[in-house]
Amino acid sequence: MPKVFVTGMGVISAIGNNTAENLAHLRKGKTGIAKAKYVNSNYADTRPFAEVKLSTEELRSQLNLKTTKGLTRTDYIAFTALKEALESSQLAPEEVSSEQTAFISASTIGGMCMTDQLYKDANLISNGSEYVESYPGSTHILKIAKEYKLSGIVDAINTACSSSANAIMLGAKLIKSGRATRAIVGGTDSIGKFSINGFNALQILSDEHCAPFDENRKGLNLGEGAAYLVLESEEIVRDKKIFAEILGYGNSNDAFHPSALSEDAIGVVECISRALKSAKITPEEIDYINAHGTATGNNDITELTGINKVFNGFPPFNSTKSYTGHTLAASGAIEAVYSILSINNNELYPSLNCKNAINTYNQFPITKFAKKDIKTVLSNSFGFGGNCTSLIIREA
Amino acid sequence: MYIIDCYSISPQKTFDESFFEGQVEGFVGNKYHAIEPSYADLIPRGLLRRMGKAVRIGIGAGLPLIEKQKDIDGIIIGTATGGLDDCIKFLNQIVEYDEGTLTPTNFVQSTPNAIGGHLAMMSKNTGYNNTHMGIGTAFESTLLDAFLLFEEGEASKLLIGNVEETSQHHYNIDAYAGYFKTEEISSTELFNSNSKGSICGEGAAMFVVSNKKENALCKLVDVHQFTYPKSENIEERVSQFLEKNNMSLQDIDSLVLGFSGDNRYDFWYTNLMNSFPKSTVYSYKNLVGEYPTSSGFATWLATKILTGKKTPNKAIYKDANRTPKNILIYNNYLGAQHGFILLKST
Repeated sequence: MPKVFVTGMGVISAIGNNTAENLAHLRKGKTGIAKAKYVNSNYADTRPFAEVKLSTEELRSQLNLKTTKGLTRTDYIAFTALKEALESSQLAPEEVSSEQTAFISASTIGGMCMTDQLYKDANLISNGSEYVESYPGSTHILKIAKEYKLSGIVDAINTACSSSANAIMLGAKLIKSGRATRAIVGGTDSIGKFSINGFNALQILSDEHCAPFDENRKGLNLGEGAAYLVLESEEIVRDKKIFAEILGYGNSNDAFHPSALSEDAIGVVECISRALKSAKITPEEIDYINAHGTATGNNDITELTGINKVFNGFPPFNSTKSYTGHTLAASGAIEAVYSILSINNNELYPSLNCKNAINTYNQFPITKFAKKDIKTVLSNSFGFGGNCTSLIIREA
Repeated sequence: MYIIDCYSISPQKTFDESFFEGQVEGFVGNKYHAIEPSYADLIPRGLLRRMGKAVRIGIGAGLPLIEKQKDIDGIIIGTATGGLDDCIKFLNQIVEYDEGTLTPTNFVQSTPNAIGGHLAMMSKNTGYNNTHMGIGTAFESTLLDAFLLFEEGEASKLLIGNVEETSQHHYNIDAYAGYFKTEEISSTELFNSNSKGSICGEGAAMFVVSNKKENALCKLVDVHQFTYPKSENIEERVSQFLEKNNMSLQDIDSLVLGFSGDNRYDFWYTNLMNSFPKSTVYSYKNLVGEYPTSSGFATWLATKILTGKKTPNKAIYKDANRTPKNILIYNNYLGAQHGFILLKST
């Protein structure tokens, strides 16, 4: 089976509109979480958010798309990261539109960021807006397919907050099986009343900057962003720049509760173990873990329990959600890009806001920027519905 | 892979034998709602009351299959929108209570993976779990995912399926987008309507698939999906697909086609049918309506046909008196997303 290489990547988040800007913030330990500027919600003043620092209009004007009818903020964010990924992989238009190129994306919120417009369209108090084909999380895939004339496998995954980690996994599997030679994979999400009120109703939306792995963590901050990776079979990469190899992946279900992980971290242990098995490596080979680390009470203690069970201790770990907030379906892909930045630069970026380690394990995440030889990274993503996925990414 | 068990909840009474005993529901109007079984023995009442329809019919079709097996290695679901009605109910709360204190149940069930998540939770299945929502080919991607797991040796038995619900809110949005006919039409007249749009259906079809032939109802040979085809030459496409599976056009005795009565897209099916002049053609959207993952129902129907069930006449679009051995399913959604599924008798 051919190796799967990352030959391009693009990211937009609260800490930058491209990979270079994201890297600069990570190096400086500078968060993108702040007082909201664009969010339209009663909670805009009382909860911090990790917004992309461009208005929807600014995003649109930077893109030069053939059509913008029915496009939402979620779509523009996706197009922005995708454009950077395709350029960084130096793909010709016919390579992008080839039937041998698969596109697998993810979004949980999709056009539901237009919460008020959806309310009007669904309840027949509009004349049918331009967004009627834009609401479900999957609609962005056809808008992207149309713009780039995609003709092969076009799919969207929804496993809630592990969605784009599964998109990366599926893309890698398609290449290994020979069903595609190239896969463009990732995810996108933006902030809307829908997700704000959802997480608020679950009482896991913090009124402070999120503090992953802190004993007194109060919950997550919502973020927005997108990331895409171009995966290519080793058989077609030739002399292209290779950012990293997708070495392994593990998928499981915690099978415990619709919106919480089991105390025993069953799903977490399973997905990490399966990823190690698929990568054919031992736990000792993992140099760093990009944790899911949402900063909710349930997630962080359970993730540590799972890591401890598999590793019998703790490799260096951080949560980059302390920079980007929780970007939901985009988080797995954004964090895969950050994992690759750690590998390419041999750097570890500090996890922010953890002042007191969780008592049970007394383990601090990485708190200071450090230079270190990083070859192999584990990236975790867990979602509602018990969906757990781990990716293993290695220096190529 | 082999299909060893299946279950369907649809606008026809397909959860028992009624449909093949000739009980066919006819519809007037543009919405075909699922006929649901009693869930009393399956789902605890408190849980059932909180379930949206997508989760309910997904569990209703999937859980009985899981309960008959002891060794399901994973669950893969295809659904374009999952519990979209839960989304909109939650949204209505947001707007009507001006973002006040809300209950999170609708929010938690609104994500499409709630179906696969609930199935895993209720059967304590910690195996592989994935949900595809690639709209008109979400079910084809579900099959592809299963093929990959079998080939990798990561599974020997899986629960897979499709779920789609309709609701008034959902219908309103899709009607604005021009998906449905504006005139009232009866299901018997659907294919003669010669107008834009189709009718709105829903349903869940679930399958236990295995990498072993033992107890097989039929073999699911291959699946193929493509998007925005550059050419309308469907014969070339299907020939390549069959060739890849060491078959030719002549080997296909039966077709299950997604005719939807939408005069913008039905030409795809007519063109494909013309490449198979000697094959029997089955239709199904006049029975269950149009929805993005309807090829799940088509696969259920093909499975039943291959086990020797005699279909009601209303499912036969063109009878060529062939014994069903090799069935090709072709469906497209709004002309944009296309899928082939190939099944064989065992």
